[in-house]
Amino acid sequence: MVLAEWAVELKDVRKTYRTGSIDVPALRGVSLQIAAGEFAATAGPSGSGKTTLLNIIGGLDRADAGEIWVAGQNLQLLSSSELAYLRLQRIGFVFQTYNLLPVLTALENAEFTLLLQGMPARKRRERVEKLFSEIGLAGLEDRRPAELSGGQQQRVAVARAMVTEPALILADEPTANLDSAAAIALLDVMEHLNRVTGTTFIFSTHDPQVMERAHRLIRLRDGQIASDETRDRQDAGVAARGDAG
Amino acid sequence: MRSVLLFVKISWRNLWRNPRGTLLTALALGLGLALLLISLGLLDGGHEQTIAAGVRFGPGHVVIQAKGYQDSSSDELLLSAKVVSRVEGFLQTAEMNKLVRGVSPRLLATGLLSSSANSAGVRITGVISQDEPAVSLIPERIIEGTYLSNDKPSGVVIGADLAHKLELKIGSRVVLMTQALRPPGSETKNGAGDEMQSTLLRVSGIFRTGLQAVDANIINLPLPATQALLGVPDGQVTQVAILLQQEGDSPMVARALRKQLTGEPVEVLTWRESIPMLAQILGLDHAFNYIMNGVILAMVGLGILNTILMRVLERRYEFGVCKALGLKPRQLAVMVIGESLALTAISLALGLALGLSVEHYFATSGLDLRWIFKAGLPPALVFDPILYSRLSSNRIIWSVSIVFAMATIISFYPALKAARTELPDALKAL
Repeated sequence: MVLAEWAVELKDVRKTYRTGSIDVPALRGVSLQIAAGEFAATAGPSGSGKTTLLNIIGGLDRADAGEIWVAGQNLQLLSSSELAYLRLQRIGFVFQTYNLLPVLTALENAEFTLLLQGMPARKRRERVEKLFSEIGLAGLEDRRPAELSGGQQQRVAVARAMVTEPALILADEPTANLDSAAAIALLDVMEHLNRVTGTTFIFSTHDPQVMERAHRLIRLRDGQIASDETRDRQDAGVAARGDAG
Repeated sequence: MRSVLLFVKISWRNLWRNPRGTLLTALALGLGLALLLISLGLLDGGHEQTIAAGVRFGPGHVVIQAKGYQDSSSDELLLSAKVVSRVEGFLQTAEMNKLVRGVSPRLLATGLLSSSANSAGVRITGVISQDEPAVSLIPERIIEGTYLSNDKPSGVVIGADLAHKLELKIGSRVVLMTQALRPPGSETKNGAGDEMQSTLLRVSGIFRTGLQAVDANIINLPLPATQALLGVPDGQVTQVAILLQQEGDSPMVARALRKQLTGEPVEVLTWRESIPMLAQILGLDHAFNYIMNGVILAMVGLGILNTILMRVLERRYEFGVCKALGLKPRQLAVMVIGESLALTAISLALGLALGLSVEHYFATSGLDLRWIFKAGLPPALVFDPILYSRLSSNRIIWSVSIVFAMATIISFYPALKAARTELPDALKAL
């Protein structure tokens, strides 16, 4: 039985990649529940399965076995186009590299998914401008990605992920290419949006400073959950700010 | 609709991410179109000139002959005076008159032309001296003396090669010997039709066309003298050659004449039927040209396929991100096809500007081919060595459509590649 309050629920999820004739297990029976509104991080060394886990939760990749429930739907039973629809409507992505479309302005990038959803221009613009001013991007609407810093680009990517008001945001090492100050600023934005909108955030990291900010830290090792630690929301924020300071 | 506009915007901007590459690719495709337009213009212009010259050394755009003449080439098959008169009357009607440039009745036979130095077999063409210049090119190619006229009833015009062989000059006397014609039904019991006839003529003009077969064989002499020599009753001729204002009207005029002459023992032929070899050569030339153009377009097409494919492969990560955000494969394909169509639009504009400019130059100033002949250029050529381009609007529409269709078809493969971007592999591309 799947409980409605889980934003994400995984049951014994397995995934193995084949490299030539060698099988490389990426996930070995991961079971996990993440409640709606959580601000959770997955951490672990390279090859521990962080990115695979996020890809499977986001419907970018398929598991070999197990069940993946996101927003009340079993992803294993959805077709490719149903997965694409789910991603467009219910899931936001933030990638490690600055993945904005270089030919579009910051505003056009942010409204890209809204446009695909068919939202009218005025409503799109209002929503993006409101979000931009909330996350410190006001005045940068007409700049192309090449004219923005790494931190600004990543915030535009967060805006693009948030603007459709998804149930879930997945961020794969979102601070990996940012300096400490930009990383903290981005986490501030993500945490603020999580608090204000109640959107569930799951992000992967191997940066201890970022781990400190997570309200729940799931450590992975060799494709399995090594530890799952839930922390008080306020403590996590204070600890991180103390570290940063 | 909104998303289509976004894809158009993205496609257009994507083109200018690498302006030099875009312009070079557009130039390559544009050059392909320009080459196509220029070669078609020169081909059509050349063919038009070839036909214009070919029919004027032959039987015109449309010819009327006695039934069976085309297949048998029997000089004894003649048109009656009544038919000639009906043809001339019909061609003078207001409807026909505006289409016709010249009408020339001709009496044809073979004979032997002898001078004091030599003899040669010749093709006798008896013509009305004032009608023939409106149809034939021979009067225009006189290099010595003058063409036939009423005041020279025993004058003869010969080709330069024949004059050289018989060692003739203007004013030289020659004897033309031939067999009297015996039209079907006119046989006499005593065989008078088989008698050899001869007449004394004086060279009034020498022409040079550049066509050896014409310059060494054809002689023109006045129709009355020819009829008298061949024993043909007044008014009977071998053919009526008609030159039209427009070659394209040939089938229509031929049809009208056939209708007019229904019941008469005649054949009305367009130049394609009366000079089939010329039509076949032009057809072959067309086919060869289409193949060459096909090769040029295929090469340009492969270049463009390579460019667009490279652009798509370079942006695999970008397409992966789009797909991750929820873009459907079909929408990715539309983006790539849109980009390709935008590139094609630029190419067509460049190609049309370049192709039509050059074509206009060749249409007005011509392409001078005399440099090919260098010192060996004969004083008079069969065909004008300056080639004038002729490009119809149909040809332009056809060419643009071909290039557009080719570019669109070519874009399908890269579009398919983009649509098939695999997740999550594409996201690992960087």
